[in-house]
Amino acid sequence: MKLPHGPATRALRYVAGGASLALVLSGCTAQDDVVTLDFFQFKPEAVANFAAIIDEFEAANPGIRVVQNHVPDADTAIRTLLVKDKTPDVLTLNTNGRYGELAKACVFADLSDLPVVEQVRPAVRDIVEDLGSCDDGEVNAVPFSSNASGILYNRDLFAQYGVEVPTTWDELLAAARTFEAAGVTPFYTTVKDAWTMGPAFVNLGGALQPEDFFDRLRAEGSDVASGEVSFSKDYPEAMEKLTTLYGFGQDGAAGRDYNAGNAAFAAGESAMYMQGSYAIPAIRAVNPDVNIGSFPYPATNSPEETVVVSGVDVGVSIGRDTEHPEEARRFVEFLMSPEVVERYAQEQSAFSPLATAADSTDPALAGLAPYFEDNRIIGFIDHQLPASLPLPQYLQELVLGGRTEDFLATMDREWSKIAARTIPNEKD
Amino acid sequence: MSTEVSRPTRPGTPSSPPALRPERRVPRVFYLMVLPALALFAVFHTVPLLTGMFFSLTNYAGYGEWSFVGLRNYVNLFGDDRIYGAYGFTFLFAIVSTVAVNIIALSIAIALNGRIRFKTGFRGIFFIPNILSILIVGYVFNYLFSNSVPAIADALGITSLTTSILASPDTAWIGVVILSVWQAAAFNIIIYLAGLQTIPTELYEAAALDGASPWKQFTSITFPMIGAFFTINMVLSLKNFLQVFDQIVSLTAGGPGTSTESISLLIYRGGFQGGEYGYQTANAVIYLFVIIAISFIQLRVLQRREASF
Repeated sequence: MKLPHGPATRALRYVAGGASLALVLSGCTAQDDVVTLDFFQFKPEAVANFAAIIDEFEAANPGIRVVQNHVPDADTAIRTLLVKDKTPDVLTLNTNGRYGELAKACVFADLSDLPVVEQVRPAVRDIVEDLGSCDDGEVNAVPFSSNASGILYNRDLFAQYGVEVPTTWDELLAAARTFEAAGVTPFYTTVKDAWTMGPAFVNLGGALQPEDFFDRLRAEGSDVASGEVSFSKDYPEAMEKLTTLYGFGQDGAAGRDYNAGNAAFAAGESAMYMQGSYAIPAIRAVNPDVNIGSFPYPATNSPEETVVVSGVDVGVSIGRDTEHPEEARRFVEFLMSPEVVERYAQEQSAFSPLATAADSTDPALAGLAPYFEDNRIIGFIDHQLPASLPLPQYLQELVLGGRTEDFLATMDREWSKIAARTIPNEKD
Repeated sequence: MSTEVSRPTRPGTPSSPPALRPERRVPRVFYLMVLPALALFAVFHTVPLLTGMFFSLTNYAGYGEWSFVGLRNYVNLFGDDRIYGAYGFTFLFAIVSTVAVNIIALSIAIALNGRIRFKTGFRGIFFIPNILSILIVGYVFNYLFSNSVPAIADALGITSLTTSILASPDTAWIGVVILSVWQAAAFNIIIYLAGLQTIPTELYEAAALDGASPWKQFTSITFPMIGAFFTINMVLSLKNFLQVFDQIVSLTAGGPGTSTESISLLIYRGGFQGGEYGYQTANAVIYLFVIIAISFIQLRVLQRREASF
């Protein structure tokens, strides 16, 4: 797949370089050695934010031009770029399980010597590290913005029906029943989009699973059925709780998607909504005046055990084989400067991953922010699953009336099959 | 095929003088005309196909390092019930759609071949689905199934249709069939129309004089006379439906759950999104041979039926 680095390629590169130089010169810009960075930006909601950041960067660094590329379905797009050996110079990715697989395949440069790495909250750094890296001790992505997943609620409806913010599982059920009895939909659910069941899964599963569940599961390899931990043994409680919450959804949930859910919650059609901080800008886009609050999933009846699931929404990486490592680093350092990170966090209702950042002031995040600032956060557990395991689809089947035992057995079976057919490369 | 082509054009003169040997007269320009197409086919089709077959013997993820794993991908395929599920759905869908599309297309073609008003206009209208992009039509149908049909059913009091048929794992495949048949019928209608026009009208006149009913005329004249067109339509539509992809992406994305996950969709998802490029390439190689075998058998069976006439 790699082009041979022979003299022919080099000659070709000079010709191409000469041609582009000629283009620049004939354009009368009279700028020598303008380096163009190819910047892959995955988040469609943030195109304008990054365009503004790039303008500032280019004004401060006349020798560097940054071209923002954004595509739908970035996870697939980056893979096709990699197949063609066209790794972008700088890229942002949702720091999820797929990012981890790419990092382990040594696609990204090591950034551990960037000074800003030290300024990132330790708990956030751990979340990225847990996903894997090319080699031990390497940092392949710097967290640019963090999200938090919890339950969003409509403050006005809670006040109207005199419901307190629940801190235990029983209080959550009681709140849902109160709204149901009053004819208000407790949760607006969007079952048509399979992924929207994921947040409830990661919150309940992450809080209720035994310690080091995925490490032990990985150690079992393909022999999950007779192993010490398995989904069938350790996940029934989480899945029962998940189906209970989905039972409080509105009629016709199977035909509603994420956009419909954001619009309905913005219009006050439900008291609660099982989505994370990343949904807040979309909800406010529909109705800027909606009075949103948030609280973490009270997975048990002991509030001190409650944690918030947080992921790195945007991580910044540099292509390992970039031709402009210096310029790429300068751009990443600019991106990671506290002003840029914090302004972005405000605009996107996200959390700043920097330890020095001021506390979040967004009222919609007020219920989740203390957990984040106290490092009471865990990562998204679905990032520990192999990408070829279709968790969202199985969750959708379950919520649409499947049986919990079948769901758990399917998860165990798929995990075993994938473990059996994943043949690692010889380490060299 | 090749033996027929190279056969001397005049069977009566096998020992004709060298100057008249057929090979000498035309071939070179023919070869030159075929060459560009052959080169393009080899570069853009055969080479990728062989590369794919090569990668099906590796653990390649689509990027990064890889190593040879022999036939282990193929062995693992046979233990994967997700693949069996995809085969089950794809074949159910393809068979139902093939039967439906041929019945509908043939009926419409016969109607459009009759003496009706605005015949040309109707032929144009019925061809429109073929020139529309499946993805665009799919999103329109998605909206219709999710919003319009339930609203209409609600107003009419038909409770069984008030929830979208795409929302239930048991009925979603029907939605895919409806979209695919609607879209594919246009092309089959054109082929059947072409076939119907090859039937001499004297046959019908003679049959009418003998007092044959329209149904009798259809079973004894029309259908046997368009046998070759029926064969090609059956083979092409089954092959196309077995490769169903766009319709599903735009309508259900394989859901709810994995209930409408076709083999092509599974290969795309596992191979490009799931990082199991080598494994799903092995799946694709097997599927290639399955489709070739089915098309071959179908062609043989249907052509024998043609010949018996």
